[in-house]
Amino acid sequence: MPDNNTYDAIVVGSGISGGWAAMELCKKGLKTIVLERGRQVEHIKDYPTTNLAPWELLHRNRNTNKLKEDQHIQVRGFCNEANSHFFVNDKEHPYVQKKPYDWIRGYHVGGRSLMWGRQCYRWSDLDFEANARDGHGVDWPIRYKDIAPWYSYVEQFAGISGSKEGLPQLPDGDFLPPMEMNALETHVSESIKQKFTDGRRMIIGRVANLTRGWNGRGPCQYRNLCDRGCPFGGYFSSNSATLPVAASTGNLTLRPHSIVMEVIYDKEKRKAKGVRIIDENTNESIEYFAKIIFLNASTLGSTSILLNSVSDVFPNGMGNSSDQLGRNLMDHHYHVGAGGSYDGLRDKVISGRRPNGIYVARFRNIDEKTKRSDYLRGFGYQGGASRGMNWNGDGIGSELKEQMTEPGDWSFWLGSWGEQLPHPDNRVTLSKTEKDKWGLPQLEIDCEWKENEIAMRKDMMNSAAEMLESGGIKDIYTFNDEKAYPGLCIHEMGTARMGNDPKTSVLNEWNQLHEVKNVFNTDGACMTSSACQNPSITYMALTARAADYAISELKKGNL
Amino acid sequence: MDRRELLKMVAAATGGIVIGGEFFLAGCKNPEAGTSGKDFADSDIAFFDEVAETIFPKTSTPGAKEAKVGQFMTVMVNDCYTEDDQKAFRDGKAAINTACDKMHGHDFMKASPEQRKAVLVSFEKEVKDHQEKRREFMKEQDDLEKKAQANGDTNFKRKTMSAHYFTMMKQLTILGYFTSKEGRTGATRYEPVPGKYIGDYDYKKGDKIITSLS
Repeated sequence: MPDNNTYDAIVVGSGISGGWAAMELCKKGLKTIVLERGRQVEHIKDYPTTNLAPWELLHRNRNTNKLKEDQHIQVRGFCNEANSHFFVNDKEHPYVQKKPYDWIRGYHVGGRSLMWGRQCYRWSDLDFEANARDGHGVDWPIRYKDIAPWYSYVEQFAGISGSKEGLPQLPDGDFLPPMEMNALETHVSESIKQKFTDGRRMIIGRVANLTRGWNGRGPCQYRNLCDRGCPFGGYFSSNSATLPVAASTGNLTLRPHSIVMEVIYDKEKRKAKGVRIIDENTNESIEYFAKIIFLNASTLGSTSILLNSVSDVFPNGMGNSSDQLGRNLMDHHYHVGAGGSYDGLRDKVISGRRPNGIYVARFRNIDEKTKRSDYLRGFGYQGGASRGMNWNGDGIGSELKEQMTEPGDWSFWLGSWGEQLPHPDNRVTLSKTEKDKWGLPQLEIDCEWKENEIAMRKDMMNSAAEMLESGGIKDIYTFNDEKAYPGLCIHEMGTARMGNDPKTSVLNEWNQLHEVKNVFNTDGACMTSSACQNPSITYMALTARAADYAISELKKGNL
Repeated sequence: MDRRELLKMVAAATGGIVIGGEFFLAGCKNPEAGTSGKDFADSDIAFFDEVAETIFPKTSTPGAKEAKVGQFMTVMVNDCYTEDDQKAFRDGKAAINTACDKMHGHDFMKASPEQRKAVLVSFEKEVKDHQEKRREFMKEQDDLEKKAQANGDTNFKRKTMSAHYFTMMKQLTILGYFTSKEGRTGATRYEPVPGKYIGDYDYKKGDKIITSLS
């Protein structure tokens, strides 16, 4: 171990982007310490519920009153009896909601890469040019061509299954073989292709589950229990993929229970010299030093650390002369769409549990022809068909039991994920009065859906019904959940945006703080706009790209 | 059958919302629940076993009693139900005995399987009426909540109305049975590790549903 707590690189956080930073830096020979605020979670060994049958869970995977109380925010997401150990205790990790905001978190090695939804979609220039085009937010300092090779790089390692479709707004990637659509999805997908002239397509989801063995992991066994951790390594997580490779280089030091309080600034060198942590269990304060620091503590985690890193040079938080740190918090708005049932295909059922669904790429505001007058930007759909049990359960007795063990109708569900515009008033700040149990200021979150999102939702709902109708789906119902507050989609982004101008942005085109060049941020905080695609693959690509740049700058002596 | 699928079915078969499954608003707490209602006796479990067995009797496949649904009911009511629902569930035992006595002249445990079924079937109209009333009640609360929000009233608290005890028992029977080892392996085609996905698997009338770990 290096002397005096000094390393070549510090990575704060071990989730989906921290794992990538650690692997890239370790592979290039940098002695790297990963500081993770929560406990250790070792691949397979620490997945206690992964092989439990339903009857081996005391409450059959239903939430107890105690769980609903201790994790009263987490249960609004998808925290349940079988995965609740991967979600924070809300009582221990409070924050201030100036408006309702669901902050869903996992504080442990691997972070939310263990429970993530695994959907992986490249962004295109439709997204990277969006802010410049309509004037909301600032322009992204990069374009698709800058990130495209890095998408390929991370896809080739992670293993993303998907089909090549040639859609300009949803670029194809380096995919493993796609999963298959089921009988009803195939039917509805064909109908949409025939009946809509605006180019909309229903395709199989692109997902970080392995459709064949890949880099010593997987393949996926089609159990669809991913959020418990996978004993087959069937999907990408820090624990199964990046951290083991980082460790195999001999360059990795992983320190759990390390809550980073602040980044320490060296006024003379005008660089960061390290970080100060507090040990989660012992409350001991320790400093670690390095040439470069990657902040990958998750969107709100990284921004909290920067806001808390105050000095006479940076009285409002490190790298915050622009006053943009904490602003432009975004998420995707969802819990809106439609569903229904289907009369036919009675001679078909499904075998296996596919951990994936279908995807409908954005088809609004992609060109002049598809331009809307009622809102900017757009949305995509996820969902799928299934043939469930027989729901018509009237009466009791042997007839009911027999009826319920036979399949019911096919049904189709389509949910929409919409872009949120960056808005400076959607922001986070540090509370001046409320502290957590380690004495750190609590985060205050002030964020809401605004006019554009609310207008978009009507179209998201109605277009879902329209597509299902075109596929012959009957008894269509629509939904638009007013209580799906920001945060619930767990795609929080922004608050330390990238940009060309240090006066209006926090990070530059290489994810460096404009004002402190050896501090990098490559988690969701760096995002300049939110697009409507699931963001994790973009965090991975930006991280690998920034790590490569950091190493070349180190070699040149620039950092 | 995945978890969402099963819960949807449980809800549909019993006319609405899965009891104990309501979303909690951020900050909304129920500190008392889970500390009361621990007083189920072995005789209670035996009673609920017979109620469950009447709902899902043994046929060529295992019955609910064999799947220990009575025990499961008490665990779920104790740990997952609100205090109001716990009370409604517990009072249900006496109500079933009263109804049985009225119909057959003795209590439920002494009744024959046919007599038991007749008692539970007789609740059907009462249960439907109760569900209708509860739906209206909840809609009323939704409206009041919306009004309060519009007026900036932050002190508004939703009132609750318990589901009918028989709805609870039926829900817990279906949920408990299909998540039990006996029910899942005995009454469905159970594939814990499918290994592959077939989206157009041939089905013929009479084939059982295919289930997995989830």
